[in-house]
This record gives sequence, structure tokens and C-alpha cells, in this order.
Amino acid sequence: MKGNMSSHIYGKKMKTITAIILFITTWLFSSITLAASHNIILSAETLPNGQYGYKMISHTTDGAAPNYPADAVIPGPTLFVQGGDVVNIQLTNNTNIKVGFNVGGLSVGNAISILPKQTRNYRFNADKVGTFPYGDEKSALLGLFGAIVVDDPSGKVQSFLDGDGTLTAVKRDQLNKEFVMFMVGSTFWGAEISADGTQKPLWTNPTLGAVENQLVRFHVLAVGHAHTFHLHAHRWPDSTNNGNTASSNIIDVKLMSSPHSSHTFTIKAGTGVGPGVWQYHCHVMSHMQSGMNGKFHVVAAGSGETGDSIAGASPRGKIFLNDSDEPGLVTFIMSDEPGSWFRSARGNALSPVTHTKSLEIIPPGSSVHFIMSDTNGVHTVTNLLWPSDAGKNDHGGDHFMIPIDETKAYRGGGIVQLNVPGLYVFTCKIHPFMFAAVIVDDPKTDGLDLGNTIDLVSGIKDLPTSSDLATRLVSTFFIATTPSNWRDFTSTNPWHVAYPNVDVVTDAGKLSLVEVLEARYGQDVQLTSLSKPATPGVGEVWVDTQFEKTAGKTKPGAITVLDTSDWTLKRKIALPQINMNNPHNMWANRDHSVVYATQWFDTKLTLIDQKTGKLIKNIHVGDTPSHVMTLPTTDDVTIAIHGENGVVRMPVGTTEVDYMMPTQQHGQAPANPHGHWISADGKRIITPNVNTGDAGIYDTETGQIVVRTQTGGGAPVPHPIAIGMMPDSSRVYAANLLHHSISVLDGNNGALLNTINLIADYNPITGEFADKDGNGVVAVGVLPIQTPVSPDGKVMVTASMGGQIVITDTTTNKIVKMLSCDPGCHGANFGAKQGGGYYAYVSSKFSNRLIVVDPDPNGDGKLDDAEIAGSVSMVADKGVPKDDTVSNLAGFGGQGVLPLPIVYNGWVQNLPSEWSAGLTDKQRNPIQ
Amino acid sequence: MRRIFAAESLAGNLSLSHKKKCNFRLMSTIWSRMLFAISLLFLINSVLAGNLHRIGMFAEEMAGGYFAYRMMHYEIIGQDGSASNITSRYSNAATIPGPTIIITEGDEVEIELMYQINPDRENSKHNQVSIHVHGVHYDKDSDGTLKYINLYKDESATPVVSYIYRWHAALGTAGTWPYHDHNMDSHNGAEDRGLFGALIVNPASAAMNNIKKEFVLYIVDDAIVGMETNNTTGQHTPLWVNPTLTAERDSDVRFHVLALGTNFHQFQLNDYTWVDPGTVNQINTKAIGPLEKHVFVVNATHSSSYMDTAFSSVLLGMKGDFVVAH
Repeated sequence: MKGNMSSHIYGKKMKTITAIILFITTWLFSSITLAASHNIILSAETLPNGQYGYKMISHTTDGAAPNYPADAVIPGPTLFVQGGDVVNIQLTNNTNIKVGFNVGGLSVGNAISILPKQTRNYRFNADKVGTFPYGDEKSALLGLFGAIVVDDPSGKVQSFLDGDGTLTAVKRDQLNKEFVMFMVGSTFWGAEISADGTQKPLWTNPTLGAVENQLVRFHVLAVGHAHTFHLHAHRWPDSTNNGNTASSNIIDVKLMSSPHSSHTFTIKAGTGVGPGVWQYHCHVMSHMQSGMNGKFHVVAAGSGETGDSIAGASPRGKIFLNDSDEPGLVTFIMSDEPGSWFRSARGNALSPVTHTKSLEIIPPGSSVHFIMSDTNGVHTVTNLLWPSDAGKNDHGGDHFMIPIDETKAYRGGGIVQLNVPGLYVFTCKIHPFMFAAVIVDDPKTDGLDLGNTIDLVSGIKDLPTSSDLATRLVSTFFIATTPSNWRDFTSTNPWHVAYPNVDVVTDAGKLSLVEVLEARYGQDVQLTSLSKPATPGVGEVWVDTQFEKTAGKTKPGAITVLDTSDWTLKRKIALPQINMNNPHNMWANRDHSVVYATQWFDTKLTLIDQKTGKLIKNIHVGDTPSHVMTLPTTDDVTIAIHGENGVVRMPVGTTEVDYMMPTQQHGQAPANPHGHWISADGKRIITPNVNTGDAGIYDTETGQIVVRTQTGGGAPVPHPIAIGMMPDSSRVYAANLLHHSISVLDGNNGALLNTINLIADYNPITGEFADKDGNGVVAVGVLPIQTPVSPDGKVMVTASMGGQIVITDTTTNKIVKMLSCDPGCHGANFGAKQGGGYYAYVSSKFSNRLIVVDPDPNGDGKLDDAEIAGSVSMVADKGVPKDDTVSNLAGFGGQGVLPLPIVYNGWVQNLPSEWSAGLTDKQRNPIQ
Repeated sequence: MRRIFAAESLAGNLSLSHKKKCNFRLMSTIWSRMLFAISLLFLINSVLAGNLHRIGMFAEEMAGGYFAYRMMHYEIIGQDGSASNITSRYSNAATIPGPTIIITEGDEVEIELMYQINPDRENSKHNQVSIHVHGVHYDKDSDGTLKYINLYKDESATPVVSYIYRWHAALGTAGTWPYHDHNMDSHNGAEDRGLFGALIVNPASAAMNNIKKEFVLYIVDDAIVGMETNNTTGQHTPLWVNPTLTAERDSDVRFHVLALGTNFHQFQLNDYTWVDPGTVNQINTKAIGPLEKHVFVVNATHSSSYMDTAFSSVLLGMKGDFVVAH
């Protein structure tokens, strides 16, 4: 008994010692074998659609290296290593951009970028278990990303939750397959790794396949924007927090917050739910609406189906100039850069033929992809027009995706498959001059297919593609997207617009595009020369030359200050120290010591010293602020946050916004207010609600909605963009950009009084201009924008993007005159004319002059002699003080216009004497 | 999960009694048999046990362009076949968030949805509405998606016919899960227009029995909308926008924070801390993205306030008071 006992103990001891020795040996051996080193040779390549990808050249390691795709792929090759491994990367840059190599979450010594044609070595230790994104920090969103999976040396991977509730441990060799899914913009980029290590690119929004009960590991990663990942009918433990946890947190949605998120989990396909086609998607509403979803197809076990995945549209697939059997993908980079706001990733290669970087050509069944990779603002991806059949659910159309649109402006991208041949134009609802065009061309036809008819977002249906309106939009597209097509008033050459020399197929058959456009809209037009108005103005005019580029910053835009006493430029303000981005609209405080400027493609309000043009402060106010105005009563600053859903307030004397007045009730669709106005008594704020198609009247004191009135005569998307208001607050005028009309509202109760049709005299089919509304003048205003009413309430001047200025008599609400403007005619505001009366200063995006309109030259109160008093170059010569060197697009991009002194009723009375001195008594009291 | 533990201890006992030859053999055999029997009971309980929740809901239109769910009928059928009707515990009007459905692991739900919205003759996409639930088990008939997505069928209530969804809160699905429309007007549904609510699956254990109140707080893009459940009375009360939450001192209350829309949020409850689920970290603020959930229990000791500290959320006043009385 005793001996037994001791031998038992002895035996136990022996066992323990053996076990310890074994453990140590195993541990030593394993750590020796596990501390493997990997020599990986990668190259960065340009893909056929202009995106970039990493290509695996070779991977040498002690163990078996996976079977990698032969070519460059997105996501890049998945690098599987084990904790403790050393990874050496040799990267060769075969692209035309700088490329670096970073690993989010692991430290790479000296992750310096390399120039084209260079090669460089990088090295990192896989000292943390997990999945990490690698890639180039700057160009990641265009495809330079991939995953590094650092597994536990024991082989243990994430446990899965079985259908009976059992949390089951898994070793990597038990996995049937793994998916790497990158969430980028509004697109999933996928790769599959089979059990034998073979890697297969699945490209965009693939159908992931699995057989029921297979063990599948997902590596979900995000670069850039934030997302939430959701997979239908499955659930898994959130293993983000490795280590000792009280209990598992079972989830089915996971936040991927930028910039380097990853989430890895294992599921048993279909457990508890069975076979099915289960959607995976981003659960961010705007990303869902812009196409961020795919299918997880779980086939029944024993059904004989293999559960293979199906790759989605690919940068290597069928697109213009790239033949393939696979569906292709063209990519538009959404940018703050003038002209190429939607820039094809291969725009430089295409533009010699297309004369724009914003036109792509694909065959039916390929896809178009958008990525907001070069912008600080929020945007939408919205179909402006599309082939009529594409929005129906037959003939290959898809009424779920065409027209593409989102309820809210957002950060991300978009992806949509186009099946019906014809012309598609995309825009951003927030910045409605951002354009991309895609021609879906049936290769069987002779000439590029524009289709027979198009539908417009404004509600026009079945518009023939040969009609004047259709070709006018096409012409506008080529002017807007190509700066060399803009009107340069410093040049003595005639104005030439380059159109692609291609044949297009329309409802009227095959036509030469360039011949049609030149015949209809002219070519090599001699521009009128600039001439200073004979009568000086009073004070200064500050103009947002929003597209002017300067050398000291990457973002465009300068403010041009004009001295109206002699019509010379006083100053250029580009503010390189804050990289001022697309300055759009301005207002000044009561004593005019501070000018407020909004950065429309950014998040900031900039405070500028009026006297010196120097920066005072740059303040975060919200996404994509558009217009700014003070309350005449308090001098508080109000800023329309166009990309969000309200108007924010910055109390006088402070430099911080403290309150947002919502433009809609909680939970309602965001109104996206653009160019608001404030009543002379300061009691009402009126916003043009772009997204919801109404004008909202709000109580300044309470922030409550007084009334919201639909504008644009019931059109689905009238796009009210700017407000004008009578000096006695009796009437509100809302310009409907896409309905080409002005809605007239009662200023107190918002009742719709009238709709002034600005295209009544225009025949959209023939293009004929004639006095069809019988008001005695031929006057048209295509795409109206700013529409201020003169401080004395006698006249309204409407700047129309189609290149017209429309003069309306506010006594009768009748159009009295049309004056010629430039393409992209945009900003308008009234300033005082010396000796009495007013000038309307009108700016244009696609020209570099400011037009001075005199609505009543002889001051007789009649407007039929309204005329252009002169026009002034926005290009600064050497002598003009500047804070940066103008490098390109000098003077272009005219948008917000702020004449100082501010002479509107309610504000003019508050002017300090130095600013009111130059005004007449009548101008100081405009409605007495 | 309890079943696993039971099965493990059972196996442990059996192997112990098998190897050990001692005086306790009989006892341990008896013990192991008893354990076996108990485990079997558990097995049966946890697999088969559970009530059937028979629910009827409307999808309705509300003034202001909203859509919302409304409880029409709620009956719980016990294992013994007994039925109890709890419809009166719910608001008899449509609410945002929709009715909070509270069940226990092992329960099943049969939920019939009826389309009570004006049909749109022009736009057939408007004439479908569904309930897509997260987290729990259901087969491919109850995904609440369109054929466009599931390649199977439109799983929608329509102006013509209702749709029945069947959910099984199997073991492992304890937690709080959003439910929402997936089919109206687009293949994404109209969830952002008010068609959302919460399903609470309590664990089969009694761990949550002492909770006095449930606060479902949905953070949407411009407001926090709430629904309260008083566990003592069973009554559900819509709290609407940026509500004041009330609790009795020293009572345990549970926050179910969910998000929906396009924006990202940072939820905060001042002067309280709680365990971040799945971790051992004590936190008092949590980043949350659309359709994520964050659930925690606090003992109400003092009044406080909750808020979303994201930039525009602060400007919009997305916050409320948490008032602790007595």
C-alpha cells in the first residue's frame, strides 16, 4: 500500500517532469521553427482601368508559401505569417505615382515612399497576432491595399458559434476557406483563400460561396472611410478584444472605423439557418444606397453543389480599350480639383480622345465605380440622366439601382452595374457641377450609343437624345469638366471648346458629335472684350474665385478683392497656410472688420481680416458648409451646413459654433440647405432645401420650422439652391436649379404665390428661343442659381448656369430681360452704385471675369433698359498683393460675391460711418 | 452555453468514478447518474424549452413622411399550451422605435406583418415592407429581403397579403438585436424612415431577472429615440426624441444603445461606468456605428445625463437626462 502509494507519486512526478521537459522542448523547437522569416518580393502595378494593385513576385519562407495570383490584384496578395515571424518586403514601383508600404497596426521601420521605377526594402516583425492592412497610405483607396494575417503559432484561430450555442475552438487547418473583404468607399474588394492556400481574386462585391457547415473565416478590413459590416443570418463572437474576457460578445454588425480597422471571425456556414443566399453589406445607409453589398451563397450540404464564389466586376475586365471575358469596372475619383471633380482613374490616358477626364466608355454589363479619395467634403453619387430603359425593370434595366441616388451626403463612394446601352451622367447633389459621364456602348452598333431617349432626375422622361436639351447638357458636360474649354478673357484667341471627334448613335441615327455640337452652340466664338463700367461702384467686391490654383497649397480657390472705385484688383487671398479649399460664399460682420468665408468642399469657416486679407481663424463648422450670413439684429453668424441637415450658429464675438438649427424634423430626410437668406428684421431664416425640394422658413429665436413649402411645381427633384428676399420680407424667391424656375413664396406664411418659368421661351427639342410666354421678351434662364432681390426691392437678378442673367421685375414677378453671361454663371449680389442705385455683380464658374449688371441705368424705375455696365477680369497681374503664387486657372471659378459695404435693408442701417459714408441717403434707407 | 458546462462536468465525473476505486464509488456513481439526469433535463430544456411568441404587427404611415411599426396582437404560448395575451402592454399607436420584443433563449417567434400604408400605383417598390431581424436563427423564408437580394422570393407584406416571419432564439443568440424593414422603396428598405425596433433575447439563465427597466435608445442621424420597458409591469412606453430617462434609486436598469442611419456616434453616460461587453474594460463612452448594439446594465445611484458627443450631434442637442429618484 505504502510502496504503491510512493510509486504512484513517483510516477506522477516522472510524468510531470517529462511533461515539463517535453513542453520546454516543444516550446523551444516551436519557437525556433515558428520564428520564420519571409522574403517577399512585391511590385505595385497600374491596372487596365487606371487603379493600382500589388503583385506577388515571389514569397520564400521555411514553410509552404501560398499559391498567389499571377497578376496584380485588389486587394493585394494576402500575406499569412505567424506571430514572431520576421517579414522582409522588397517592393518595386511600376506605377507612375509615389508608392509606400505601411502596415496599419504593426510598425514598419522607415516606411518611406518610393518614386516610379524605384525598388526598396521594408521589414517588420509580426509581433502581434491579428489581421492588419498593408498598403500605401496616400493611394490606398485606389487599390494599394492588402491584408497581412498574423496567426497564433499554435494554429488556433477565432472560435465559431455553432447553431446549438456551442462556442467551438478552431485550428487554422480546419478552415475550409477564408475570405479577405476590404471595405473601401462604397465597395467590397474580396479575395478567397482556399484550404490548400490558393488565393483567388474576387474583385468587387463578389458572391461568396460556401457549402453548408463549412468553416469559413472572414477577415474584414477597412481603409479610409468608416463602415459597419453586417452579414445576414450569421453571428459570431467579437474577438476584437483578445484575452481574458468574462463572456463572449456575440455580434452580427461590426464598426470599422478609419483608418486601419480589421475584424476577423470564423463562422460555420448556414449554421442554425440552413442554406440560402444571405446578403452581406455595409449598414451605413448611404453606403447601402450607393451599392455596398454582395451575397454569401450557402449551398446545401450533399446537394452536389460546390459552393464556389463568383468574382465581381474587375479592373481587368471588359472596358473601352481593354478586352476581356469578365465584367469590367471603370473608376471615377471624386475630387476637389476643378473640372475633374469626377476623374477617371485613367483619365489622363483617355483625354486625348475624349477631351475630358470625366468620360468613360464600357460595354453593357460592366460597372462604374466611384471613390471619394481626393476630397475633404461630403458628396452624393446621383444619376442626373440615364437611358429611359435603364430605370425600368425590363430590357435589362434595374429599377433598384438606376437612377442611383442617396438620401444623405456622405463619405465613401459608389458602385453600379450598367446593363442598358446609352448615356449616363452622374453628379453630386451637393455640388451639382461635378459631372461624370459613362457611355454604355453596345459593341454591335456602329458609333457610340447615346440611346434613343433619356430620363432626367428633374422628372423629364423619354427625352430624345438628339433633342436640343440633351445635346445642350452634353455640351455643358464638356465645358464644365475641361478647364481648357472655359472662357479665358485674358486670351485674345476665340473661345474654342474641344469636343471628341466621334460618331454617336441617337434616336436620329448616327451623328458626328462634334458637328452637331458646333452647329448648335457655335465654335471659336470671339469673346467680347472687357470694359470697366463708366460709373464707379461703392467700396469693394469680394469674389470667390473658387477654382484658382496657387503654388503653396494642394486645394484650389482664392478670394479676389475688387476695388470698385477704379475697377482694379486690390488683393488675392489664397491662404496656403490652411490649404483653403474651394472658398464658396462670404459675408461680413457688422463693422466689416471680419469677412467670413465658407469652404464648400471641406468642413471649415474661415475668418479673414477685411483690411489686410490675413487669416484670423479657421473654424470647424460641419460637413460642406455652403453659405454664410449674419443676423442683422445680433450680428450672430449663421452658416448653412449643406452636407448635413441644418444651419449652425456662431454667436457674435465667439469663434465656435454652438448650435445647429435643424432644417427638418428629427428623423426626416435631410434637407441639405444651400444658399440661405435672412429677413431684414432678422426674425426668419429661409433655406433652399436641395435634397427635399422645398424652401423652409424658420424662426430665428426658437429654431422651429415655421413652414416648408414645396418648390418647383411638383417636379420630383427641383433642386432649390438659393434664396432671394424682398427687403420688407414680404416675399421669398427660391431658384430651382433643375426645374429652371423661381418659386415665389409669401414671406410670412410660406404660401406658394407663383412659379416663374425661366425656360418658357425655350423649346427643349428644337432649341428654339421665342417669346412663348407672351411677356414681350425672349428670355431664358437655364439652371438658375443665385437670385438676389435689390436692396430697394425693385428688381431680381438671376444668375443661370446655362449662361444667362435673367432680370425680373418684382412688382409684377415678370421677366423683363435676358442678358448674356458665361458658362457656369453662378453668383450674384447687389452693391451700391456711386451716386445712387445698385449694381448686381455676377460671377461665373467657367470664366475669369466678373460681370457688372446695371438693372436701371437711368434710374427711372423701369427695367427694360437693364444692361451689362461692364465686366472686369478676375486675373491678378504682378502688382496685385497676394499671399500665394497663382499657378493655374487664374481668376476662374467665380461663385460667391460679397460687395462691401453690405447694402441690404436691415444690414445697411448698421454700417459704421466709414462704410456708410459713400452711400446716398436713399441707399442708407433703401425702402423708405 | 450552459449545456456545454453541464456536459463537461458530466464527462469529468464519469471518468473520475471509472478510474478511482474507492469507497466513494457508489456515491459518485449516484452523483454522476444524478448529474446525468439533471444534464438531460437541461438538454431537453435548453433545446426544446421555450415559449412561442405569436405577434401581429402593422407597418404604418405617420404624419411627417415617417413609417413605423405598430403592435396589433401579442400572445405568448407557454410550453404547457397556456396562452397569455400581452397586447395591452404595448402602445396602441405606431411608434418609433417600434415595439420592443422581449424573449428568452429557446423561445420562438411567429410574427405576422401587415401592410397598412397607402399603396403607390406609380412605384411598385413602395408596395412592399418587411421585418429583417438580426442575430437570431431563421431559415431563408424569414430573411425579410427581396428576391433581388436573396434570389428566392420577395419576403414582404404587401397591400394584398401579410407575411409571417419565424424566428428561433436558439442558444447562443442571447443579446439585443435590431429589427428593421429591408424591402420598402429600395432593396435597402426604409429603415431610416422609422421602420426599426429592438428584439431583446434574454439568456436562458436568470441573470437578467433583477433588471427593473429596459431603455432602448436608437441613435439616428439627428436624434436619439427611445422606448422604455418597465419589467415590473411589463408595460412598454415610447419615449420619442432625446427623452428624459427615469429610474428608481438602487434599481438595475439596462441600456440597449443601437444606431441607425449614415452617421457615426460616440455614446456617453456621464458619471457611470460599465463593462464593455466581451471585455473586462470599465468604460463610460462607446463608439457606435449604424446597426451596432451596445448593451450594459447600471445600478441607478444618481442622476446623470447621456449624450452623443460626435461633433454635429452635440450641436443638434442629441442628449437627455437620466433622472434617478427616491
